[in-house]
Amino acid sequence: MTDADAAAADAAETATAADRSKDDVVLRVEDLQKSFGALTATDHATFEVARGTITGLIGPNGAGKSTLFNLVSGFYEPDGGRVEVNGTAVTGMEPYEIADHGLIRTFQTPRKLEGMTVREAMLVGPRKQPGESFLNLFFKPGEVGEHEAANLEEAERILEEFEIDHLATQPATKISGGQMKLVELARAMLADPELLLLDEPAAGVNPTLRNKLAEQIRRLNEQGTTFLLIEHDMDFVMKLADPVIVLDQGSVLMEGSPREVQTDERVIDAYLGGSP
Amino acid sequence: MSALSDPKGYWADLTRSEQGVLAFIVGFAGLLLVGLLTGALAPTYFLYLVGLAGMYALLSFGLNSQWGFTGLINFSVAAFFGVGAYGTALMSASSSPIAGDVLPIVGLVVALGVAALLALAIGIPTLRLRADYLAIASLGLAEVVRLVVLNERQFTNGSAGVRGIPPFFEGVPVLATLPETMPGLAVRPLPGTTIVLETPFWSALLNVAIVLGFVGISYAVLRRAHRSPWGRVLRTIRSDEDLARALGKNTYGFKMQSFVLGSVIMALAGVFYAHLNLFVSPGDLDPVTTFYVWVAVILGGSGSNRGALFGGFVIVAIREGTRFLNEFAWIPIDVAPLRLLLIGVLIVVLMRYRPQGVLPPQRELIWPKVVDEAPDRPDSGVREAKAGGGDD
Amino acid sequence: MVFDYLASGLVFSSIIVLGSIGLSLIYSIADFANFAHGDTMTVGAYAAFLTFGAVGGLGGSVLGLPLGFFVALVAGIVVAAVVAVLTEKVVYDGMNAGSIELLITSIGIAFVYRAIIQIGFGADFTRYEVQTLRPIEALLPYGIRVTQHDVAIVLSALVLVGSLHTLLQYSDLGRKMRAMADNPDLARVSGIRTDRVKLWTWIIGAGLAGSGGVFLGLYNQLSPRMGFNLLLLIFAAVILGGIGSVYGAMLGGFLIGMINQLTPVLSDIALLTDMGALLPLVPDSFGITIGIEYANAIAFVIMVAVLLVRPNGIAGEAT
Repeated sequence: MTDADAAAADAAETATAADRSKDDVVLRVEDLQKSFGALTATDHATFEVARGTITGLIGPNGAGKSTLFNLVSGFYEPDGGRVEVNGTAVTGMEPYEIADHGLIRTFQTPRKLEGMTVREAMLVGPRKQPGESFLNLFFKPGEVGEHEAANLEEAERILEEFEIDHLATQPATKISGGQMKLVELARAMLADPELLLLDEPAAGVNPTLRNKLAEQIRRLNEQGTTFLLIEHDMDFVMKLADPVIVLDQGSVLMEGSPREVQTDERVIDAYLGGSP
Repeated sequence: MSALSDPKGYWADLTRSEQGVLAFIVGFAGLLLVGLLTGALAPTYFLYLVGLAGMYALLSFGLNSQWGFTGLINFSVAAFFGVGAYGTALMSASSSPIAGDVLPIVGLVVALGVAALLALAIGIPTLRLRADYLAIASLGLAEVVRLVVLNERQFTNGSAGVRGIPPFFEGVPVLATLPETMPGLAVRPLPGTTIVLETPFWSALLNVAIVLGFVGISYAVLRRAHRSPWGRVLRTIRSDEDLARALGKNTYGFKMQSFVLGSVIMALAGVFYAHLNLFVSPGDLDPVTTFYVWVAVILGGSGSNRGALFGGFVIVAIREGTRFLNEFAWIPIDVAPLRLLLIGVLIVVLMRYRPQGVLPPQRELIWPKVVDEAPDRPDSGVREAKAGGGDD
Repeated sequence: MVFDYLASGLVFSSIIVLGSIGLSLIYSIADFANFAHGDTMTVGAYAAFLTFGAVGGLGGSVLGLPLGFFVALVAGIVVAAVVAVLTEKVVYDGMNAGSIELLITSIGIAFVYRAIIQIGFGADFTRYEVQTLRPIEALLPYGIRVTQHDVAIVLSALVLVGSLHTLLQYSDLGRKMRAMADNPDLARVSGIRTDRVKLWTWIIGAGLAGSGGVFLGLYNQLSPRMGFNLLLLIFAAVILGGIGSVYGAMLGGFLIGMINQLTPVLSDIALLTDMGALLPLVPDSFGITIGIEYANAIAFVIMVAVLLVRPNGIAGEAT
């Protein structure tokens, strides 16, 4: 057992918030490893995300948060270890296959969808649309139309919930960065995820929109979606997430409630640049 | 609103570039009409040009459904065109070394099948990788197809080409003999000019009907596909493939479908060409065709089907226009490098200054009937924003 | 015979290596597949052709080449580099576009280069005004037919590649170039002035391509299509070696050049030509004769095979 593992285990024992529902785990990451040449980006990372939580993932720059997201969502292939979503091993699967198991992710800096209006961009979200099969377009146009109408209605409903329905027919390239983040979240919800991975949802978002975003995440969480989010804005993550997992140098340093994390010596050390 | 019931409103509702294109088309059509009426332009030749334009439009449709929809770079348009042309020629021509005298309709099916297989073969190794690998590999594919056609004499007749290709409707009752059975007509459109319409005219007209049929079917298929969730996934892949993957789309599969579809349409253009020209040779696989089609698609507006249609016609105007340059004595140089220069400059200038082309897709692409009040143009052209210029 | 193929493989490899190094560097540092790279070679070849015509032999001779030819070589390198840098400044630099848009633009640039050369020099083949040499006598008993010119090509390429190696290993610029080629983003955050490195990449990459073009003209002939025809081989070499790896490009270029010249050996392999006689169920007369006309096709097949099994190249990291 490495120090990091020991620390993680230690933290898990003391963290009441974390172990209250570990019996219902959406995401289990075991001993995950990834290196790029000489650089070890993920170093035997192990953690779990319990159903119904908003789990925060924090760590200093270069701690390997984004790499971990890419490994979990299938964008990178791990060198070792395993990832389970809803009890199914998804290690080494393609992102779309992992999405089929209910894990959807967003990106830190989404590229804008050229030539689409906001509601068009939203319509990319729903999974398994009959209209995504080329043959159905010609042999089952009725079914395609029905689903398209239903999806559009759903998209407009969600946009309304997010209070951005006035943007629906705006070009997706002409909305602000903050609005883009809201649209991203709204679109991800159309994919009907059980677990949604958000990569820095608050980055580049003004404080007003940021509060709105936090509110939406909390609301969606209450409606049953589990969240795992990377965030640099401590204020944002500490208000929203429980438990919080701290990553340092590619492995899990500790896990606990926001209060525990904020008062932990090791975390402070890691953020101050010295490794524990 | 329609152009007929409210021409003024229709005109005002167009973007400036749409107005420009429309003015160009009307002007060009007028010019052709004058040419036809005065007898300066032989009707049969005119129909041949229309056939060629339809062929380029098909090629542009094919490339548009790869590059325009999905962002796939295919530098072997000429090869897929050649596979279509040779596929049907080797099946149906009397001089074919391998089969011959099969109904052209069977040749069509075989040609499109071979093109689809070839597209799969090149797609499998490259479509999982970055987009530029397909560009490089397809450049190689074009060369290999040309080499095989040129060198495998026992299968393709090599540089001699394939002669004796029957017209497309060979073996079909009525249509096969229609041009011969049509009466000769003498038309006097203007006093003093007489145009005699005989068998060649009728068979040229039949060819135009065929290509218009091909173009019409392809356009209908592509338009439906473009407005569907299927097309939306392709457009997402073009902008941000990772996003599409994260949302659970099997992007490899979608890219493959887009690539095969486009390649089959290109082969369809080749099939038409073989039955138009009744002779194919390795010269028809000239790689420069590929880049004419690229210019057509970029000029028309990547992703825009009507743009591809327009681009296809412009290319014929350029090709036939430059043919006459040689007849002017004061231009001492060969026309081939001038065309090459023109293509090169057009590609660079378009990519540099107007990457969205002249007719970028404007309307919101949602399944028809689902949105009845869909704004034709949400505020301003959605695609204009890309170039950063509000030039419309 | 095999010795002879190997010898000409060595000469041809030298030319491919000169082309592929630049393509690989530009690919990773300027971040796009430059389809005008082959035509940059053509530019170098014709610049040398013009210069050589102007300065003449200048007396003296090294390996059967007059000194004037080496002046022309330098001119070819300089002109290719200047043209590439101008193109970068005038066209690519201001585009603010992704690598895919740049790639498509570069094919337009390739046509512009080629068209201008064809307008200026005609479409026909042409040669440098140097005396055609007989093969070196001493090597004939071994079946090797190489001229002093061939030796000059290999030696010059060695000097150029050796200088590049020294530059990459021992100069500050070289280290930055390797770092950027290896990982552009990492290099940027670590404070390397990427614009300056990029400029030097164009100079070095296009300069080497120009020299490759000059040698290609000496080895074969000059024609406006000479560089574009080589482009596929160079891409194959770069992909084989792994994009962004200078040494990979050298190895890839060497292998592709060798295999290209060894193609005739393939047509002697009984398994292919007498397939019918060796395999059951196949007609006796059936066989594939891979003649030299398929030399480029073989490079293509190798490239596709590499993409299938090791997309990062033989020198790159396995995925």
